[in-house]
Amino acid sequence: MMKTRKARLALLSTAVAGLMSAVGSVSAQETFECPKVGGDLIVAVESGIPTLDQHTTSAGATRNIAMNIYESLITRDADMSPVLDLATNMDVSDDGLRYTFHLREGVTFHNGKPMTSADVAASFARYKEIGGNRSNLDIVETWETPDDNTFVLVLKQPQATFIENLSTYTVPIVIMPAEEAAKGVGEVDIIGTGPFKLVEFVPDSHVLLERFDDYVASDVQPGLSGFGGHKQACVDTVRFRMITETGARMAALETGEVHIATSVPATSKPRLEALDDVTLVSRLQGVSMGYPNFSRSPTDNLLVRQAMAAAINAEDIIFAASDGEYELEGALQYPSQAYYSTAGLEYYNQNDPDKASALLEEAGYDGEPVILLATQQFQWSYNAALVMNEQLKVAGFNSEVSVLDWPTALATSQNADGAWNFFFTVWTSTVQQGGPIALRNFADPNNVFTPPNNEGPAEFNAIFDRVENGATLEERIAAFGEGQEYAFENVLGITFGILRATEGLRPNVRGYKSFTNVQVSNIWLDD
Amino acid sequence: MIAYAVSRLLQAIPILFLVSLFAFGMIYLIPGDAATVMGGPEASAADLERIRENMGLNEPFLQQIVSFYVNLLQGDLGQSLMLGTPVLDAIIDRTPITLGISLYSLAVTIVFGLLTGIVAALNHNKLLDQAATLFALIGISLPNFWLALVMIVVFSVHLGWLPTGGYVPFSESPMGWLRTTTMPALALALLQAGLLTRITRSTMLEVLSQDYIRTARAKGLTEWQVIGQHALANVMMPVVTVLGLILSVLLSGSIVIEAIFGIPGLGALMGNAILSRDFPLVQGGLISIACSLLLLNIVVDVLYFWLDPRVRIKGGD
Repeated sequence: MMKTRKARLALLSTAVAGLMSAVGSVSAQETFECPKVGGDLIVAVESGIPTLDQHTTSAGATRNIAMNIYESLITRDADMSPVLDLATNMDVSDDGLRYTFHLREGVTFHNGKPMTSADVAASFARYKEIGGNRSNLDIVETWETPDDNTFVLVLKQPQATFIENLSTYTVPIVIMPAEEAAKGVGEVDIIGTGPFKLVEFVPDSHVLLERFDDYVASDVQPGLSGFGGHKQACVDTVRFRMITETGARMAALETGEVHIATSVPATSKPRLEALDDVTLVSRLQGVSMGYPNFSRSPTDNLLVRQAMAAAINAEDIIFAASDGEYELEGALQYPSQAYYSTAGLEYYNQNDPDKASALLEEAGYDGEPVILLATQQFQWSYNAALVMNEQLKVAGFNSEVSVLDWPTALATSQNADGAWNFFFTVWTSTVQQGGPIALRNFADPNNVFTPPNNEGPAEFNAIFDRVENGATLEERIAAFGEGQEYAFENVLGITFGILRATEGLRPNVRGYKSFTNVQVSNIWLDD
Repeated sequence: MIAYAVSRLLQAIPILFLVSLFAFGMIYLIPGDAATVMGGPEASAADLERIRENMGLNEPFLQQIVSFYVNLLQGDLGQSLMLGTPVLDAIIDRTPITLGISLYSLAVTIVFGLLTGIVAALNHNKLLDQAATLFALIGISLPNFWLALVMIVVFSVHLGWLPTGGYVPFSESPMGWLRTTTMPALALALLQAGLLTRITRSTMLEVLSQDYIRTARAKGLTEWQVIGQHALANVMMPVVTVLGLILSVLLSGSIVIEAIFGIPGLGALMGNAILSRDFPLVQGGLISIACSLLLLNIVVDVLYFWLDPRVRIKGGD
């Protein structure tokens, strides 16, 4: 594990240098070519698609599909390192203020129009206006388009983690034609530069993609790697079928009606594993966690929050939340990641009701209700809430579970005055991308724990500033550890463990690489 | 009869107004909106506010309700936030799918429910009656979502006869349509067939004990004549009422079944619209469902009018 982490450290520290010299470095390896072309791939996904307007949403369901249609200037590879995608190389000025991207030549949009720097500029302008993570562009003073194939970002001041932020895929800055970029939220026609183009989108039913024959692949890496690399559409079409009912989705996989099914539940695994014609692929999904409401009594009281953390047996909670598919790990990074730190883990999985009771007494807790806000739509939310509720009761809390549908629960949790004291969630893309992105949701102005006047602890914000702007990677990693320790000690959030996700594949699906999102490039179908 | 139908139509107007008002007011009662769903769990409050602004969700209540009714009176149900298309178009696209499955299910319900109910009544307290009662009890007791899953396991996974889900339009392939709609229709029909069996059986038993049936038999009519000419006509009155209710349940209650089988019908559309907080679509869907149910009630009332002379007399025809 340590070896992997060191490798990641080296990778991140050389990320920018690597990006700049990426083109020539892959010639030694053979570029991917589809062993077989043709066929119609069918993928069963577990949830509906809220939109395909990728600038506006952090929903994984959207990325599953949209990231096969759209591409960004720079994205993340399979190791979560930044990798150039629509750019072939990048120059950074000595003062760290100018980032010059040289665009991949010959790229056309799905409507046949050549992609130029004007489209990139228009896409950035749209993202700055309505993009989900547009605060990542706050550091950008302006951008320039000196010619059709060059795009320059000019920063207000140097930012060590700028490339990490720019390449985030939580809500990626995908490039669309300038005329589409002029449109509002949800009004765009879905036209990208990716290996697949959109044919049909029926939001509650299916999405049909078709191979884009004029696709010009990136040569930065020889094969598909995460969202980047040399992508090729080997199949003629891809149909994403939304089969929300788990039993029906598993049956479709078992009968061969679909080639790939996402979110295989732990309870179905023994049966599917016994079948010769189904292969299961498991990966880390995200950190199951929750956070308190800083504006509502009694969780506005630090001692009460610390009592909550002390009362929790995280293993029981993550077991229930995952049906046994979990890793007992409390950090806000996976152990293999460069920013992984054990700082503050003494506050994880304390399972100490006596300490919790003592803290409650010290806090002068008078039995005020503690509302655990959950939704039945996700097992990781509802089951975690039920178990945590019992654990809190043992410690002397007057806790109760409030169950709402997901949009209502989410909206309630975003309201400081809402009827909630603790909200359950899973951090996926934020944790996977590491660094400042993993802590951003605790820092102003994104603080999820709804502090009074939307002002989180100044001490944490100062630490976060060092995570984001520390001069060297070592400084930033050290600051990350401090930030994590502060977050756990002051209970900005409580982690339960890492959830695992499993996909099921039919045997004729070849080349499938398990990744945080479903990638349908470089997959071919055997007879 | 026309005057009667027109008067029933006029009575529907205030009901529709109340439904539309309820549909509109609902937006302000439940937390969460399309921006919350679109932004996803990792969007900040500031991000959501910007999305709201861009989607026009921040307009004042009065302005929204006035434009809602002005548009409604012009037959414009607004634009779906989720689909990006006019709500009316979405409803018109999806209605035939749900209607087709509902009518298929209704046909199965009528055949099984009526036949079993009649056979049970004619064999009162005999083995066939007990079997029919058991069938009705099973139908009423089994949740249709559970039945749907069991059917998938049996007919798709083990026997391989039918696909696990999806939908093929009738116009594309009648056989494909039949293959993709049979399990949903049966899953929806079983409960309703059980209900209809019970209603038919008890009504038939009551009718068969009436004096005019005894008189008909005393006149020397055959048993089939007694049942066909005298009993059935009277059994049909409550049965028509129940059939109207059943069709309205099938039309408005297929959300779960459509979700399980991945059918892009009105139920799935409404279910997703609610979860996506696509309020124009929810409003439009509620209004159109209310319209179809009111229409159905009017049809049932008119059928009453035609079937029952007592209603005609009371109606002043």
